[in-house]
Amino acid sequence: MMMRQTAALFVDAYRELNSRKLFWITLMLSGLVVAAFAAVGIDKQGFTILWFRLDFIPLNSDILSPALLYKTMFLSLGLKIWLAWIAAILALITTAGMIPDLIAGGSIEMMLSKPVSRVRLFLTKYAAGLLFVTFQVGVFSLASFFVIGVRGGEWEPALLLAIPLVVAFFSFLFCMCVLFGLLTRSTIASLLLTLLFWFFIFILNAADGALVQWRSMAEAQRDALVRQVAQAEGNTRQLLIAERRSLGEELPEDYHPTEEEIAGVNPFLKGLRDKRASAEKTAAQAAKWSGILFAAKTIVPKTGETIDLLERTLISMADLEALTGSSDKPRQTTVDEQTAEVEFSQYDLSMRSATILRERSVLWILGTSFAFEAVVLALSCVIFARRDF
Amino acid sequence: MTTATVDEPVIPAVRSDGLVIDLHHVAKTYRGRIRALCGIDMQVRRGEVFGLLGPNGAGKSTLVKILMTVIRPTECRGTMLGEPVGHKPTLAKVGYLPEHHRFPPYLTGSQVVDFYGALSGSPRADRRRRTGELLELVGMKDWAKKKVGSYSKGMRQRIGIAQSLVNSPEVVLLDEPTDGVDPVGRRDIREIVQRLRSEGRTVFINSHLLSELEMVCDRVAILVQGRVVSQGTIDELTADKRRYEIELTAEPDAAAAYFQRALPEAIRHGEHATLTPPAPGERETDRAPPTHSPLTRRVGYHGQLATGEWLEIDHATLRIGSTEPATIQPIIDALRERGAVIRSIRQNRPSLEDLFMQAVTDPSTGATLKPGADRARKGRTP
Repeated sequence: MMMRQTAALFVDAYRELNSRKLFWITLMLSGLVVAAFAAVGIDKQGFTILWFRLDFIPLNSDILSPALLYKTMFLSLGLKIWLAWIAAILALITTAGMIPDLIAGGSIEMMLSKPVSRVRLFLTKYAAGLLFVTFQVGVFSLASFFVIGVRGGEWEPALLLAIPLVVAFFSFLFCMCVLFGLLTRSTIASLLLTLLFWFFIFILNAADGALVQWRSMAEAQRDALVRQVAQAEGNTRQLLIAERRSLGEELPEDYHPTEEEIAGVNPFLKGLRDKRASAEKTAAQAAKWSGILFAAKTIVPKTGETIDLLERTLISMADLEALTGSSDKPRQTTVDEQTAEVEFSQYDLSMRSATILRERSVLWILGTSFAFEAVVLALSCVIFARRDF
Repeated sequence: MTTATVDEPVIPAVRSDGLVIDLHHVAKTYRGRIRALCGIDMQVRRGEVFGLLGPNGAGKSTLVKILMTVIRPTECRGTMLGEPVGHKPTLAKVGYLPEHHRFPPYLTGSQVVDFYGALSGSPRADRRRRTGELLELVGMKDWAKKKVGSYSKGMRQRIGIAQSLVNSPEVVLLDEPTDGVDPVGRRDIREIVQRLRSEGRTVFINSHLLSELEMVCDRVAILVQGRVVSQGTIDELTADKRRYEIELTAEPDAAAAYFQRALPEAIRHGEHATLTPPAPGERETDRAPPTHSPLTRRVGYHGQLATGEWLEIDHATLRIGSTEPATIQPIIDALRERGAVIRSIRQNRPSLEDLFMQAVTDPSTGATLKPGADRARKGRTP
């Protein structure tokens, strides 16, 4: 009997979504995005779209392999812009009405008067909404998988991880949408509140990104200065020893010049040391603030990080190093000894940021997000189960 | 309406008390202030058609929603089909038509019936068969493949009745089943209700259309402001209110004079007939129009025959609280002797409407109660 009821609820959800044109429009747009992927080509001569050769783009398959081109296109366009942004909004618009429609007067009586517990009814409806997204993402990812396989020549099953990841990402927003729908009973209100919530997470992410950037810079600067000071001290010491030896002084094997002696010889060392001290202070500050935001983010769902998990899987740290460090630019942040000016290396900064971000464990990203979802769903269930309709 | 068979009769489960719905002290207070139901006691027997009537806001729908677990009662000691109210699995054996139902507009008529059947847990094969039968029963077969969104109110109501029967329920709760339905549809629904009774099912009808109930109900309960004011068969409820009405052709004043002169004669064998004049300050305008039930308003004079029957004079009509022809013969004689011209003599049984109006009339002021659950405004002046 339970299977029968669940099946009926899912079929009903499908019919409901089916009746909304947006469901098919989203699917059609998905198809267009995949078709756009397939239309793009790269070969030894250069870059093509359908039959047209785009000579002004200085790319060919020697610089960028077709597989990597399609993968990056899938990640940056297909996943981050289409699935995690436009399609997600379309999906929210399509599913936002589910709960307000369910609890609308005249319809909720019909549902509650059946031998189905309220919690089960609610969770089944919720699952039906997620099933819609699973279907959409599934179609898109499978199609992309085949395009990358056929056109790019690389069959990458890890690509299909996009399905659970995007569904998880969507569920973090959908649980709030459902809660807002229950509270406001209005589709529009719940949609707007959900977008607001999403925007709030977006701001938090942006702040987090900025802080991570700051922290990378501060640490790069600090490390460069620590290195530079150590080097300067070493050099000066060598210089001092060599000088005194050349003057015929007998120095013991473990002789160390005093600080004053070193400072007396190298006039820049004081400036470098002061700068190092302040850089250390700044780095500590950056680490503290970034830690505070990290703690704040622990309680909210990690939408951005969830989507980035796929990139993490598809592109290893070594790949990333290869991608970022392909140019002949300096790999380390350096400091000019005399002016104490810091020369940042873009490579160093990106690798530092990537390391900080990748150090955040999958358990932290998904675990805390699912915990958030579970709390919101439990709250919704309690509200739904206790309300008089 | 066709003569399609609904299905096999219900085999009633053996229960000693034979009560399908047995409610004690059902109360519902909203937000701790509005008392929608204040302790309902109600018994519905197996196989009967039970009518719940009451004015708007009396709590009829609230009571049904409590039975269907849509609303959680504040207090409830009661059972439905032998299980405590709120027991979800029992609902598989119950059919329900909510008052302002809204079926998914993207479903067709037959999909609606099938969908709610599935939620009730009916097997697919049963649903298939019964959907066809029920759509024929409610006369919606030709519309089965059309979307509910395109239906008229009456058609939606017919589909609503069909879906309430899809799980072959032992008890069916219909909340305002004839709401928005034309006279033909009402007759059809009445016939369906009678058919359900003949199949041994219990039907619980909520309605304010009293004539509908009167035609089909075995027993009724009258709910006013969250309380059951009376409960029983229509015969039981009207037993002490049956009467004769004698109407004269004369003007009201002249008629009153006839009655007053005739009555002492008519009760010659008895000792007394006390006639009391209208209460002081009572004006003609206080009275309801003559078409209204006499039981709901005050009359010119009321009194008692020597044999104990009540009587009242209302304009040109004399009412006597008796259904015995012998009682009124002397009165007719006395009136005729005095030259009064009798327009009509009717033996009258109060309708449900009379009972209803009486229930919602404040006996001290004669004013009808305001709708709603609030009982605080009793005794206001017009």
